Amino acid sequence: MNNDFDRLSDGDTIDGPSFAVSRESIRLFCDASLDYNPLHLDDDYMKSDFGRTNFGGIIMHGMNSFGLISRMITDWIPPGAVHRRLETRWVKPVRPGDTIRPAGTIKARQTMQKSRWVLLDVVVRNQKDEPVAVGEAMVEFPS
Amino acid sequence: MVQAQGFETDFWKDANLRKGWDDIVPGEPRKTLPYTLTQQAIALYCKAVGETNPLYLDEKAAKAGPHGGLVAPPSIHILLMFSCTPADDWMRSPGTINAGQSWSYNIHARPGDTIRLEARALDKFIKRQRLFVVHDNVFFNQHDQVICSGRGQTIRPA
Repeated sequence: MNNDFDRLSDGDTIDGPSFAVSRESIRLFCDASLDYNPLHLDDDYMKSDFGRTNFGGIIMHGMNSFGLISRMITDWIPPGAVHRRLETRWVKPVRPGDTIRPAGTIKARQTMQKSRWVLLDVVVRNQKDEPVAVGEAMVEFPS
Repeated sequence: MVQAQGFETDFWKDANLRKGWDDIVPGEPRKTLPYTLTQQAIALYCKAVGETNPLYLDEKAAKAGPHGGLVAPPSIHILLMFSCTPADDWMRSPGTINAGQSWSYNIHARPGDTIRLEARALDKFIKRQRLFVVHDNVFFNQHDQVICSGRGQTIRPA
C-alpha cells in the first residue's frame, strides 16, 4: 500500500511479516525481553489451571505480537512519519507451531493545526485466520 | 543464553517476597533500576522479532539516516520493562498474564542511553473472579527526556 498521506484512504490495508512460532522463537524472546515467566518456558507449570483457563502448554509472549505489529508499522511509514502509539489486547493464546501475521487497516485520517495523523485498526491472525491480538495504532505524518 | 549481566532468570526465586494482589497499593511508586541499553541488547531484540531495519543494526547506514546514529525500535520498551524491574517486583511473579497494553512513543532510545523507569500500579479490580492490576510506566533517558510511556493490565496469580 502507498504511504503518501494525501493518497491514503480509509479502508486501505497493510500487511506485516509472517512469523513462525516455535519453542526456540519463544525462548529467544525470553532472552531478548528478559521476560522469563514460566508461562513461556515450563510445560509442567502450564498443565495447571489459571482460574477457569488451562492453556495446555507453554504460550508465546503477547508482547511478541506487539513487537510484530510495531515492526509492520515502522516498515510501512515513509521517512519523516513517526509511529506514535500502539494499543493491543490479546484474544487468543499463541502456541509453538502456530504461524502469525499482523495486518492493519486505516480507519481515519485527521489533520490538526500542527500535525497529520493516521489511525489504524491492527490485528494479528494465526494460520487459521483467527485473531490472536487486536488493537489500534496511530502514526504522525509530517505536515 | 544471552542475558543482562546479573539478571535473575529464575522467576520462582524469591517469589514469596513479591507483593500479591492484596498487597499492591494503587498509586504507590514501584522500585525500579537504571539500565544502560547496549547495541547487543538491541540487536538481540531485533533478532527476536525479525527486525532488519538498518537504522537499528547498521551503524554506517544509521549515521547517514534521520537520527544521525543507531536507535532502538520503538517497541524496545518490552525489554526495558524487565531490565528496569528489580527481582522482588510483582511484575515478575510467575503466572502473571498480560491482558493488554498501550504505549505512546516520543523519542527513540539509543545504544548507550541510561534508561530510568518511573512506574506504579494505577488501579486494581476484580472482574469475573480474576484479579487485575493496571500499571503505568514512563521511560526516560539520561537527559530526562521521555522515551515512551505506557499502561498495561495484568491478571495476577491467585
